[in-house]
Amino acid sequence: MGDMVKGNIAMGEAAIRAGMHIYCGYPITPSSEVMEYLSWRAQEAGRQFIQAANEGEAMYMVYGAASIGSRVLTASSGLGISLKQEGVTYMAAADYPAVMINVCRYGDGLGSLESGQTDYKRETRGGGNGDYRNIVLSPSTVQEAVDLVYLAFDLSEKYRNIVVILTEGALGQMMEDCDYPPMKEVPYYDWAFDGKYTHGPYPSQMAVDLHAKGIKNNEKRAAITENEQRWEAVGVEDAEYVLFAYGIPGRVVLGIVDELRKKGEKVGIIRPISLWPFPQKAFDSINKNVKGFISVETADSGQMLEDVALYAKKKGFGNVPCYFISSPPGVPKSKFVLENFEAIKAGKVKEVF
Amino acid sequence: MAKGKKVPEKILRQVPFCPGCGHGIIVRLMMECIEELGYNDNVLIGKPVGCASLLDNALAVDTFTGAHGRNGASMTTIKRLKPDMLVVSYQGDGDAYNIGFSETMNAAYRNEKFTVITINNGNFGMTGGQMAWTSMPGQVTATSVNGRNVELSGMPIRVPEMIASSFDTAYVARGSLFTPAEIKKTKSYIKKAMQAQIDGVGHSLVEVLSPCPTNWGLTPLASMERIVNELVPYFPLGEIKNKGGK
Amino acid sequence: MKEIVFAGFGGQGVLTAGLVLSQVALFSGKKATWMPSYGPAMRGGTANCTVKYSDSRIYSPGQEEPDVIMALNIPSFNKFISMVKPGGIMLIDSDIVTCDTNVRSDVKVVKIPGTTIANELNNPKALNIIMLGAMVKLMGDFSEKEAIDGMNDMFGKKGKNKYEAANTAAFKKGYAAV
Repeated sequence: MGDMVKGNIAMGEAAIRAGMHIYCGYPITPSSEVMEYLSWRAQEAGRQFIQAANEGEAMYMVYGAASIGSRVLTASSGLGISLKQEGVTYMAAADYPAVMINVCRYGDGLGSLESGQTDYKRETRGGGNGDYRNIVLSPSTVQEAVDLVYLAFDLSEKYRNIVVILTEGALGQMMEDCDYPPMKEVPYYDWAFDGKYTHGPYPSQMAVDLHAKGIKNNEKRAAITENEQRWEAVGVEDAEYVLFAYGIPGRVVLGIVDELRKKGEKVGIIRPISLWPFPQKAFDSINKNVKGFISVETADSGQMLEDVALYAKKKGFGNVPCYFISSPPGVPKSKFVLENFEAIKAGKVKEVF
Repeated sequence: MAKGKKVPEKILRQVPFCPGCGHGIIVRLMMECIEELGYNDNVLIGKPVGCASLLDNALAVDTFTGAHGRNGASMTTIKRLKPDMLVVSYQGDGDAYNIGFSETMNAAYRNEKFTVITINNGNFGMTGGQMAWTSMPGQVTATSVNGRNVELSGMPIRVPEMIASSFDTAYVARGSLFTPAEIKKTKSYIKKAMQAQIDGVGHSLVEVLSPCPTNWGLTPLASMERIVNELVPYFPLGEIKNKGGK
Repeated sequence: MKEIVFAGFGGQGVLTAGLVLSQVALFSGKKATWMPSYGPAMRGGTANCTVKYSDSRIYSPGQEEPDVIMALNIPSFNKFISMVKPGGIMLIDSDIVTCDTNVRSDVKVVKIPGTTIANELNNPKALNIIMLGAMVKLMGDFSEKEAIDGMNDMFGKKGKNKYEAANTAAFKKGYAAV
């Protein structure tokens, strides 16, 4: 049994255990404890830490660190991740790995300090210019956050792709017990710059045959889509309604579904753990006579809802109506979600798709 | 007859800079210094966005393609994680002083132990000669067609002096290329800057006043004369700071 | 599953009291979550956290319908009294929460003179632990010994063993006050 630990701190420790060599970041609520923790813990573990002058600078530091094959982490929140996007797309163009934690806060612009899921679209679509996609993983417990950060470094290296841990203020700030995975010491990757010109010319991004590279990138994305879908599903085989929720709302809705099923209601949940690739395989188990899909998100507009509708269509559920429950900033209240669910069942709410 | 110096072995090919451009000379000096210091096989060069993008595949050393202006940040982590590697950031003035002002200054502020070589040609060369913070008062550029109005855009920026006077770095100098003697001096500045890095003294920066005949609308010779007559009085040459070796 | 809210002024140690209870629950083999108020909810000098513990998986870690609320100031009492589950408990420091507490007939208000007890112990900072002792007794889910061991285990791991005797004394006083 582990002790109570804050999500942000647990993720920092998980990165150390995954062999992170360096952290580069800039403080922002509600993610700051990740870097506050690593500011001393990295040194203690023989790793490095830099507080950058701003979010953009932090990401260019990440870019440099990745180029020599180190395991590198940055963490931020909402608008801080917006500032990083130039660096992110450069890294995508260079096929460099890194792990980026977004402890999401709610809203546009400065937003609020409260927990939210309003960054789903940016994280799952890439965020910067170009065609790339980041692998996006979203935990709903502190233990899962630890496990996913640990996994993220390996996935990032395997696919030479940025992995985003998209979590929320609530998970970053809350405490729960968790067990840590073993400590790893990882050497710098051998494909990277070593100062000896071992791998020949590093092609400038402008000099590359971009279309040929794009086709290769599509193959990589297809492999990620095939191999890296992750989700938790309950009750979907006989469900009349399937709810979709990730992160903190994911665990709230799991509780609702658990309770309703005990009462005999045929309702199910798919809790995506990988947001990109979206767990489209989860649709394969869904009752063919399902009456509706409902996305529950801590966001004004249905962001994941669009993926639910897209993959419903792909998986032969094109005629199933897709509804949206918009939960206000913070942790969704079960009662609020239930009331909205009842309204949908009663036909009082129009579907979005 | 003077004997021609051997081209450094890590230069693979001629780089297609414009006729009369100073970049070719500075790249050559940089590569000679790396070779002479014995770092041919333990070096990384940060390549910027700008005219120096033409360096693609021209050098047989690890060459990092930076985001525009941001190599002050990227070189920081490379040097910290690989402290024994010689790390050189080769940047234009638009890259280092305009868009990358924050990254350039912050790296110097932290006294990051890598070397910066900035090419000051008073404009954005690659994109067609737009005004840079280094453009002179009254200078006609693509974005100051009536001449730079310093009332609205400020006086030309002297980053080496700012760094030397404000931050605890190891070495700052400004050189030029208008005579063989000046070229020789510039090379000695670059070498000392690299040596300061090798010795772990701290951050080093060498700015080189460099001609851009294409965008200045002058012949190569007239460009050199402009540097002597117009630029040097405002951008004084020489060592600005030298903390010395350890 | 039990849901408890700890609320008061910043500096009264309500977040720590909540953390101790969650750690006691873990120590007793249960699952636990601790969720602080943070950001805008923290401004204005009030702080609160929600603790849940259960023998099985805890779904929502957020505030839903607390079984028990500990309120250490009047604003917290006023803010949270309407949230208590019918049949639930509002535990207050009667030295501080001096307003009319007879607001809901379906909620049991338990008054402990926490500040007085703390002063008697010559340890005004121990108010949160005294109130926690009272709360543990009211909940009935942990024995006094189990709770004290869990508490001391937590502070010990944080390198704060030197307060063990004082904390134990404060906890016992609170436990006995109900």
